[in-house]
Amino acid sequence: MSMVKKLSVWIGYLVVLLILPRLFDSILAISILNQMAIGIVFALSYNMLLGQGGMLSFGHAVYFGLGGFMAVHALIMIESETAYFSILLIPLIGGAFGLIAAIFIGSFSTHKAGTVFAMISLGIGELIAASSLIFVSFFGGEAGISGDRTFGPLFFGVDFAQDLEIYYLSAVWVFIATVFMYLFTQTPSGRMANAVRDNPERAEFIGYSARRVRFISFCASGLFAGIAGGLFALNYEFITDESLNAITSGRVLLMAYIGGLGYFIGPIVGAVILTLMNSLLSNYSDLWLLYLGIMFVLTVMFLPRGFAGFIMMHQVVWLRGNLKSLILPYLITGIPAAIFTSACIALVEMSHLEEEVFHYLGLELDPSATLTWIITIAIAAGSFYATRRSVGQLSDAWESANSFPDSEDR
Amino acid sequence: MAILSLKDVRKNFGETEIIRGVSLDIEPGEKHAIIGPNGAGKSTLFHLISGLFNVTSGTIEFKQNEIQNKTPYEVNRLGLARSFQVTNIFARMNVFENVRCALLWSCGYRYSFWHLLGKQHELNEKAMHVLEQIRLQDKALFPAGELAYAQQRALELGIAIASGAELIMLDEPVAGMSHSEAENAVELIRKITEGKTLIMVEHDMNIVFDVADRISVLVYGEIIATDNPENIRANPRVQEAYLGEVAVSA
Amino acid sequence: MLEVFIFATLNGLVTGLLLFMLASGLTLIFSMMGVLNFAHASFYMLGAYFAYSISQYMGFWAGLLFAPIIVGVLGAGVERYGLRRVHQLGHVAELVFTFGMAFLIEESISFFWGTDTKNYRYPDILNFPLFTLFGQEFSAYRGFMIGISIAIFIGLYYVLTRSRIGIIIQAAITHPHTVANLGHNVPLIFMGVFGVGTALAGVAGVIAGPVLTTFPGMAAVLGSIVFVIVVIGGLGSLAGAFIAALLIGLLQSYAIASDVGVPDLLNLLGLSFERSHPLNDLWTLTLPQVAPILPFLLLVLVLIFRPTGLLGKREQ
Ligand SMILES: Nc1ncnc2c1ncn2[C@@H]1O[C@H](COP(=O)(O)OP(=O)(O)O)[C@@H](O)[C@H]1O
Ligand SMILES: [Mg+2]
Repeated sequence: MSMVKKLSVWIGYLVVLLILPRLFDSILAISILNQMAIGIVFALSYNMLLGQGGMLSFGHAVYFGLGGFMAVHALIMIESETAYFSILLIPLIGGAFGLIAAIFIGSFSTHKAGTVFAMISLGIGELIAASSLIFVSFFGGEAGISGDRTFGPLFFGVDFAQDLEIYYLSAVWVFIATVFMYLFTQTPSGRMANAVRDNPERAEFIGYSARRVRFISFCASGLFAGIAGGLFALNYEFITDESLNAITSGRVLLMAYIGGLGYFIGPIVGAVILTLMNSLLSNYSDLWLLYLGIMFVLTVMFLPRGFAGFIMMHQVVWLRGNLKSLILPYLITGIPAAIFTSACIALVEMSHLEEEVFHYLGLELDPSATLTWIITIAIAAGSFYATRRSVGQLSDAWESANSFPDSEDR
Repeated sequence: MAILSLKDVRKNFGETEIIRGVSLDIEPGEKHAIIGPNGAGKSTLFHLISGLFNVTSGTIEFKQNEIQNKTPYEVNRLGLARSFQVTNIFARMNVFENVRCALLWSCGYRYSFWHLLGKQHELNEKAMHVLEQIRLQDKALFPAGELAYAQQRALELGIAIASGAELIMLDEPVAGMSHSEAENAVELIRKITEGKTLIMVEHDMNIVFDVADRISVLVYGEIIATDNPENIRANPRVQEAYLGEVAVSA
Repeated sequence: MLEVFIFATLNGLVTGLLLFMLASGLTLIFSMMGVLNFAHASFYMLGAYFAYSISQYMGFWAGLLFAPIIVGVLGAGVERYGLRRVHQLGHVAELVFTFGMAFLIEESISFFWGTDTKNYRYPDILNFPLFTLFGQEFSAYRGFMIGISIAIFIGLYYVLTRSRIGIIIQAAITHPHTVANLGHNVPLIFMGVFGVGTALAGVAGVIAGPVLTTFPGMAAVLGSIVFVIVVIGGLGSLAGAFIAALLIGLLQSYAIASDVGVPDLLNLLGLSFERSHPLNDLWTLTLPQVAPILPFLLLVLVLIFRPTGLLGKREQ
């Protein structure tokens, strides 16, 4: 990519970040945007480990949480005037603490990648989460700790009492963090992280200690996870043990994986999707975690490169000008698939409903009538059959769209 | 003064002794071939020298440094690079990145996270030059894991030679290549090891006699002869142990 | 003091054997397929829930018989239609897939059974004290748990060492690539091992449900500890898993039963600290408090100092 093109992508990213709260300005929307901001930095930091460094962590919340706790303590210190600095710098406090934790833990956990690393991360994660409930004076026990972000020196008269103000602050931090995480991938250490992920043995024969390379990625990842934790502290002004336990570790894994590990933007996509699901779906249905679970398992099985990978799959087709030839096949398979999904959701929801009437897609269904069930099941079965039948034409179309002018090699 | 010197090197895997007292001196600038039947321990010997395995006993000196207990990256940093018999590349990275990574340490970048690779013009030119040498410049942006077999072998070679190490060790570099591919590869090997020291394991006798100044014959973990090609060809023990077999099967 | 010790030992034994029942299936699956099944404890939970539902209609014993079978069939299905597909994508994908399954199973259980705690109880005929020692009762059900665990291990041991299929499995564990060459249907064996492994977890769930309470979080309570056990024991080593399971069961049980802590240590050393000391939490720490983190502490220590585990040979 040329310099100009790259620069314009970054400027576009910044503009989108800053313009979003103008487009969606309800209180709910701002709160969702704030969550997205946190999620993006956190998921990107996770991808430094798994996507770029090949280290599967089940305890990444440790760095997020420790950063967040330290950040809330910093807020408390500003409030009690034991420290005096602007809350603009709170994410840095979180980052510094995440980095310190990562240096300490990474010094012994990055010895191996693979299962050993995954298990150590799990053990450390559980250890810290359990300890957080024991050391009440720092972690505040089950209730957690809380601070107030409106103290300290004002920033051009802004006291950051409003969520919108915090969003702009977060957006700038998200932008900075994204730029630095991207630049990291372009450095010798960042590139060697890929090499070590692919083939740690060979990396040692070109002069690099695989362990040292992993350690550097690990520390960088801890730093940015801590920054995300700092953003969390700023946004919510409180933090509990949930932020460093397995729930949060699992969530970031989901975000990065659903978004797509192999691509820099993957985790951003994942963070956006998951935050939206979390905030919007949970309003409509108590069962959204079930849907999330199903979606996650299906993603792992059928879209191993995540949503970003799915989008990127079309790049070649697009470059060859064949994208149009895919529209019809996509519709032919996509429509019955969408009907099938909706019918299944209807079945699931109806079986779980307490009300008399089930409002769904503009319809009013009566879950107590057998006929409703029969019809829904029939629709599900019919659309499933149609989907199955039409998958063949889609993959044919896909193949011909991909293979057109390319007749060289292999 | 030998650049590489092995003294009574032994290696056991459990009970079995695979390398049984190998002593060998390689002179600077020498092109040395190691031949021997399958399972003789040639690859194991390479692993011992390059630091992948620890020796059971004996010493290995490279440029007057004892390296038998060093890790592969320490050995590599001293100026020893190698290729593998089984293709061993960075499969998910593209061809250019594969080669550029192989150049990083020797170009002094170490574990830097403050240099942007895109701006390192000298480094990138070097990497492109290596790609030209191994004739993969058209495939620069192609994922290494998706190359054809011969191209992967070429890349394997490229990673080994990229850093310009003084001592290059190639483990069956042309195995599995077609005749013309192998010819190209040999030509390339000859060119890039000019003025350098080469140790090569190779089965194809034509290539060995063509490239090597000296040949060692390894049989069951022991070197039964080290000499120049003519003498090796004439050596009755070698003929009995090894060449006879090949001559029959060839 | 002695009674505390004896009861702690017995309780530790119960927990340890239960943990081993889970760990043995996990170890078998890992040895065969090289995948650590994150969802293993979820199958244990499924066992408890199925047994609960069956026991509502047909009593506890029917649950003990049928629930593990259902769980085993489900497990085999997960292998056949899920894991087998993901297998080609590599270890990370497999591990992530089983992680997703754990998540999905927990949510499915909340969906089908609700999020409340189930009143799953052991049968009345086992509801009597097996013996009374120093005025404390040891319930017959716990004795039954010990008995059934031991019976299963003996059975498993016989199958693995004496039967044809057991010998194939052992061969597959030590020489993963050769079994296919011998003409055995490896995918079928994989599916069978996965089914049996998850069924074992199901049995553990059936018998643990009544004492450890049957609720959607019960997998999370044991899940990571079972992981800890197979890693501490050495990935792929059944004997190691057995030792580690008992070790952790007893360790936790003793820690909970003990009433010593840092204050006692400080007393011994003649030190004391103000309550307002910033590290007050540390000075007042007691062993029962840290009991939950002991397994993880042990895990981290083992992985740092002996990454292969107590009896393990393979690292990955
Ligand atoms: N890691 C190992 N563990 C046990 N035995 C090994 C190992 N690596 C190689 N061997 C054995 O050492 C012998 C020599 O192997 P190798 O060095 O690959 O031979 P060559 O390269 O000469 O064909 C073979 O018998 C092989 O089975
Ligand atoms: Mg060899």
